[in-house]
Amino acid sequence: MAPVGPRSGDAIFSSIDRVNAELFTLTYGAIVRQLLTDLEDVDEVNKQLDQMGYNIGIRLIDEFLAKSGVSRCVDFKETAEMIAKVGFKMFLGVTASVSSWDADGTCCSIILEDNPLVDFVELPDTCQGLYYCNILSGVIRGALEMVSMKTEVT
Amino acid sequence: MIVCVSVVGHQNNPLYIQSFTDADDALKLHHVVHCSSTSSKSESGTTLNEAFLGLLYPTLNYKVYGYLTNTKVKFILVTTDLDVRDTDVRNFFRKFHAAYVDAVSNPFHVPGKKITSRTFAQTVSNIVGSYGLN
Repeated sequence: MAPVGPRSGDAIFSSIDRVNAELFTLTYGAIVRQLLTDLEDVDEVNKQLDQMGYNIGIRLIDEFLAKSGVSRCVDFKETAEMIAKVGFKMFLGVTASVSSWDADGTCCSIILEDNPLVDFVELPDTCQGLYYCNILSGVIRGALEMVSMKTEVT
Repeated sequence: MIVCVSVVGHQNNPLYIQSFTDADDALKLHHVVHCSSTSSKSESGTTLNEAFLGLLYPTLNYKVYGYLTNTKVKFILVTTDLDVRDTDVRNFFRKFHAAYVDAVSNPFHVPGKKITSRTFAQTVSNIVGSYGLN
């Protein structure tokens, strides 16, 4: 099979198997609820979500590279763009945008306007410090670590 | 004029009650809602998917409408309008049902406990505000 050139996130997203969005949202909500019940400490839950994301990320990076066929990124800016435009589109079906670059070009923010993980969710007052989507931070951290890039994601 | 909306659980426990008048008759409305929910128990075995119960009983100043979901959760609407169109009320309950579904999909909501979602309260206020305008 001839190697395909880098495909856009849309093209890949429409060609792979998908799952019902509500099922996904409700499952993630159930995970977070259970973690809160088991651990009872918001910081612990944040750490666990990050760890879970990390474990997903180190495996997800291979799938990402295989399906998207992108070439090596030249610098960190390109990496961030790739994650936001291709990665998020491919796996979550939403496009993120990159902003708030600092002077060195080493720090940026990825903004998700429309996050399927948080549909219907309202944090109660008892869990105000909870990073509900911390799993995404872990995924990015894990994925980048497997391509020899040590990052810190919050 | 919608006076009060309420969500009653399957054990006739109130899950949500919101009144839209200044009069401080929350207790009276609560009583009305409870009476109407017990009177609707005679109509069990709904064959339709969404059972709009219709007018439950008219009292002196207001009418009470009921709506039963498949999970035996009832929505009660108390209104002071003398002339109420059936389609308006049905539309209202449809939107209310959608808002209710969003509220209970919240992973932090405990089924059977009171609904504490601020978004739900906001949505309900919007639905009440737009009631009868079209």
